[in-house]
This record gives sequence, structure tokens and C-alpha cells, in this order.
Amino acid sequence: MVDERLTRASASHSRFARKFADLLSRWAFMVPAAVLLLAVLAYPIFYTIEISFSRFDLATFSAVEWVGWENYAHVLDDYRFWESMKVTVVYLVFALPLQIVLGFGIAFLINAEWRGRNVVRALFIIPMVVAPVVAGGLWRMILDPLWGMVNYVLGLVGLGPLDWFGDPTLAMAALIIIDTWRWTPFVILTATAALLALPRDVFEAAEIDGANWWSKLWSITLPLLVPIIAATFVVRWLGAVKMFDIALAATYGGPGGATNVINLFIYEEAFRSLRFAESAAMAVIILVVTMVLTALFLRGSRLLEERY
Amino acid sequence: MKHTMKNSISRRALLAAATIAAALPTSFALAQNEPVEIHVMANEAFSNVIQSSEVVEFNKHYPNIKVTVDGVPYVELLAKMMLDATSPTPVYDVLIVDDPWTPQLAEVGALQDLKSAEMAGFTAADFDWADFNAAPLAASEWKGVQYGVPLRSNMLMMFYNRTLYQKAGVPEPTPALTWAEYLEQAPKLVQDTNGDGKVDAWAIDTYFVREPLTPTIWQTIMNSNGGKLIDADGKPAFNNEIGVAALETHKKLLDFAPPGALAHGFTESLQAFRQGTVAAMFQWGSVYRSSAVDPKTTTLTPEQVGIQVLPAGSVGPGAHRGIWSGAVSAKSEKKEAAWTFLQWLSSKQGETWRTNNLGTFPARKSTLAAKPESEWLAPVFTSLQLAYDVAAKGEMWRIRNPRSDAAQQILADEVGRAMAGRATAAEALQTAAEKIEKVLN
Repeated sequence: MVDERLTRASASHSRFARKFADLLSRWAFMVPAAVLLLAVLAYPIFYTIEISFSRFDLATFSAVEWVGWENYAHVLDDYRFWESMKVTVVYLVFALPLQIVLGFGIAFLINAEWRGRNVVRALFIIPMVVAPVVAGGLWRMILDPLWGMVNYVLGLVGLGPLDWFGDPTLAMAALIIIDTWRWTPFVILTATAALLALPRDVFEAAEIDGANWWSKLWSITLPLLVPIIAATFVVRWLGAVKMFDIALAATYGGPGGATNVINLFIYEEAFRSLRFAESAAMAVIILVVTMVLTALFLRGSRLLEERY
Repeated sequence: MKHTMKNSISRRALLAAATIAAALPTSFALAQNEPVEIHVMANEAFSNVIQSSEVVEFNKHYPNIKVTVDGVPYVELLAKMMLDATSPTPVYDVLIVDDPWTPQLAEVGALQDLKSAEMAGFTAADFDWADFNAAPLAASEWKGVQYGVPLRSNMLMMFYNRTLYQKAGVPEPTPALTWAEYLEQAPKLVQDTNGDGKVDAWAIDTYFVREPLTPTIWQTIMNSNGGKLIDADGKPAFNNEIGVAALETHKKLLDFAPPGALAHGFTESLQAFRQGTVAAMFQWGSVYRSSAVDPKTTTLTPEQVGIQVLPAGSVGPGAHRGIWSGAVSAKSEKKEAAWTFLQWLSSKQGETWRTNNLGTFPARKSTLAAKPESEWLAPVFTSLQLAYDVAAKGEMWRIRNPRSDAAQQILADEVGRAMAGRATAAEALQTAAEKIEKVLN
């Protein structure tokens, strides 16, 4: 009896030791990555937050004096901040759905078996790897009212000439076009991978049941793709919300601030105006707003996954 | 103990060596051709020219000073300079700073006083400070201290295409041309030059886009009408009738500019002028060589391209200063080599070489008065000298304040809004004045 108890105790001790060793080895692998993440992600964020509540001294290039919410008050009192927020919302509301619809639509259309499909897919990568500044410059030439190809083509059918960068609405349209040109391929590639991974047997069963093209798309493909669409939307949202390079290269935020997205405004305030504290305050505001909206999108995405 | 003693001796020896080194004639190292390496931070727009041409020529005279020039995009240049110059061990010995930046860099202690006793020992006896024109030299002066020397002297000028003026039957501009006369002539300069029924040449192109250099056009119009950007107390002085009228004139120019000109700045207006599609351009004078001389970059010739000050307002013609000055980093450990490099570039000899070989605009009166090697430079020199005089007289430069960049960005935003019709000239200037007052105080 005593032996049995001892054996049990020994086994329990040994289990605990094994568990502890297991935990230790797991953490031993995780700690370097965790420390690295803290250093490269958390530290800059906390430093930005510190600057946003401080007076930034250019002589030492550091935060020197706690000023509370003063920088935030300056930012919230600046009409340019609110204008930039509005511009960003307009850009996101049009660009994101357009890229998702186009991306999945094109992916669906090129999903059929045909020669050269892989070459076309590879070509789709090109806009993504073009540097934003180059893309901006390139599109400035293409959309130039005088010498641009787009206005030439429009002129052939009796339209235009359109002042793409001089009219506030057209400048925003130009920004959305350029961003869509750059990032729709990303959506296409993601959607193509998702389409290829769809279970064939479900489609075969539907065909046997006499389902037509539209029924298969509406009742099988789209519901199965919903989680992927939602995830792609979140990924693109996170990319789009920080966009500023294309606006910097193509429209300079103009005309008259019509395309001055919030990150371009933050960049200009920091690096042109050297107002690092106010810029940090804006960056923190955007960080919080982005985190809240991303959490909402992720929650929505989970609900959709559960539903389908 | 022995070990400590050894360290102590070693430290003393080092200290003694340092003291002896400090007591030696200041030019000893250079005189003995000791190799020295200095680093220069410059705008990437011209850093290559400095490295590939100016440094090569400099090294013919000072082979022991190795110069490495790093180019940085303009929009990041000031922030990077600040960051480097305020670090405990800065990398850069020479900073090439834009016109409005001296106050900002001087306030944070980044720049060396070039006329200090320390630097006087490194200054060549024949380095003639008085020979510089007042306007370019003043660009690198702040609160009575001289922090730099003019290296790339630039002025906002009026370029005109003689062929297009002749085709339109409009007399060529002269320094006496007024804004009213110019605007009266402008409709005639929008023309169909090849007779196909379509307009293919316009009167003007310049800065209209939302960016910090666009307000310089408005400011020049305002200055030439007696308006000021800032008053004696450092407060905005542009929010008045003269300022509003000047902004409306700037906007009016859009009516005679090529389609899409609202998005035009430095590159686009330069491109339009070089292609011969605009009769006039308000642009930085230093582009003359690439706009009228170099066949690789322009379709025009010096015979076709005239250059002069901007049209006159009620008090006289206009110009605007845009000088890149060379300064020595206050924390540099190679100040002598850095200053030697800058002295040579800005000396009579160096400036003449750079002007004749690279087309760089000179700041020295003697260079401007001398007969240039290239014939095309002679009329350019005449116009440049007038522009310097006009700018100095009317204080035609950007805000001189440690926070001038923030103020300039506000002006860019508000002038941009007025140009795009998103605010009236009066509204834009009212907003700009309120914001700038807050920023500067």
C-alpha cells in the first residue's frame, strides 16, 4: 500500500517535472522572439506615446517635459487634422471595397483552366513590387492632362480633357485608381489561392444536382469564400489606412489638401514642420482608432465565419 | 596596483599628447598632408555633382582631404541634419543647408560660428568675406553670427522664351515690366503656334501645387508691392489688402497656364518650359544651364531664353532668395578640414571654377563682375546681380525663425487651398496668419 502511494507520488512528481521542463523549453524558444518583438514593436509605440505627452526638444532630439494633453488639444483644434481624417475616410470607403470586389472578381474569371494562366498570374505581381514613388510618378505621366495617355484615349471617344490632379474629385479618383492598380493584384493572388483550395466534391455534387454557373457562384463559392474575403479585407484595411507614399508622389496631398490623407499630414508635420510632438499625438490617435476598428472588423469576420 | 599605474600613465600620456597636439599650429595636420576624411550631408538633387566634380577639383589642391558626400531627399534633409548634428558623435562635418534653415540649426547649437576665434585660425588670409553679395551671405547668418558661406546661390527669376514672345507679337520683358502689364499681355501668349486650331503654347508655368515653395511666388508678388511676410515684432504681416491682392494675382496666373498646372511645381513647370510650350516661367535661376544650354536636357538655346527679375509691383521688381550655404557642424572633430573644403568651394578661385564648369550661380561680386568663360553667362550675371540687389532691398526671403519650416508648411497649405478654390484668398491668409502667429510664438 505504502509502495503504491510512493509509486503514485513519484509518478506525479515526475509528471510535474516533465510538464515544467516542457514549459521551460517552450519559453526558452519563445523568449528571444518575445524580447525582439518588444524591442522592435512595443518600444517605438511606447516612445511615440511618451513624445505625444511631452515637449519635444530639437536640440537633444528627445522628449523633455511632460505637457499632459496639450499636444492632443493642438491637434484636435487644427482643422487640417479633421480635413485629413475626412479625406482618409473617403479614400478608404471607395478604395477598399473596389479592390476587394475587383480582386475577387478577376480571380474568379481567371480561375478557369487556360494556357498561360500562370504567366498572367505572375504579371499581376508587377504593380505590387513597383516602388510607391515610382508608381506615383508613372501615373502622373499617364494621367497628365496635356501629354497623358488616359486623356488621349478619352479624347478619341470625345471625352475630356480631364484635369486629373487639378480637380479635387478627380485627384481623389486618381489616388484611388493608383492604389487600386497597386493592391488589387494582392487581392487577386489571395483570392486565387482561396479558389484553388475550395473542395471540388461540393461543386461536383452541385453539378450532378443540376446547379448552373450562377447558383454555384452564389450558393457555394461566395459562402465558402466569405472568411477569406473578410480576412483579406482586414489585411488590406491595415495596409490602406497607413497609405501616404502614393499621395506624396502623385498629388502632393493636393489640390488644396483634397488628397491629404492623414498619414501624409502626419509625415509633413513631423518631417517638414518638425512638429514631432503633435505628429506623435496624431499617430497615437490614429493607432487607437485603427485598433478599435480592426477589432470590430475581426469580430465581424469571426461572425461571418461562424455563419458560413 | 601595477595595472592601475600603467593605465594611469597611459591616460597621462594621452592627455599630454592631446595637449601638445592642441598647441601645434592649427594647420599643422593639413600642412603636413596628413590624410583627413570628412563627411558632407547635402540635398540629393546636387550631391552627385559635388562628389563627382567639385570634390575632384578640390582634391587637386588638397589631395589629403578625402570628402564623402551623402545625398538625402530634400523633404527629409532638415530632420536628418538635426538628428545628426545633435547626436553626441555626429557623422557629418559639413552640412549644406537651405535658405531658411540656419536659424533652426543655429538655435540647437548644430552650427559652428565661422568667424569665431577658433575658426579664424583656419581661415585663409585672402578669404574675402566682403566680396560676397549681402543677400546670399545673409542666408546663413543668424543673430549676428555667420554660420555658413553661400555655395549654391539661387534666386527666383523670370525665364522667357523669345520665340513664343515674337510669335505672339508681344514685346520681350524687361525689368520695368509690371504685373499689370504682364497680365494684360498674358492672353496673347496663350496661342496656337502651328495653326491646327488647338492651343499649344501658354503664357506661364510656375509653382501652383500644394508644397512649401509655392508660397514664394505669392510672396514675391507681395514683396514687390511693398508687402511683408513678418513685421519687426516677428508677427505675420501679410494678412492685408496687399497680401490678398498678391495671392489673387498668383491664382490669376492659372488662367494662362497649361491644363493641369494646378498640380505643377518645380519639375512640371521646368519640363513645360524646356519643351517650348510656355512663354514664361518663374523658376530658380540655377536651372538656366539645363533649360537653355545643355542640349541633353532642353530643346531651347541661350539665344531663345531670356532671364530677368520677376515683374515689378508698386515698389519695384521682384525676386526671392534661395541660397544653399555650406556650414561646419559644431561638434565636428575635423573642423579645419571641413572649413578648408568650404573655403575652397566659396573662394574666388573655387566659385569661378564652379561657375564656368558647372554653371553654378556665384555669390561673389567679383565673380559676377568678371567676364565669364561662357558667353551665355554674361546676361545671366547681369540679371542675377539685379536680383540680389532687389532681394536685399525688399527682404525677399522666407521667414527667419527657428520654426520657419512649420510656418512655411502652413503657408503651403493655405496658398494651396486658395489656388484650388477651396478658400478665398482672404480666408486662406486669415487662417495662415492665425496659425503662423501661434507657431512662431
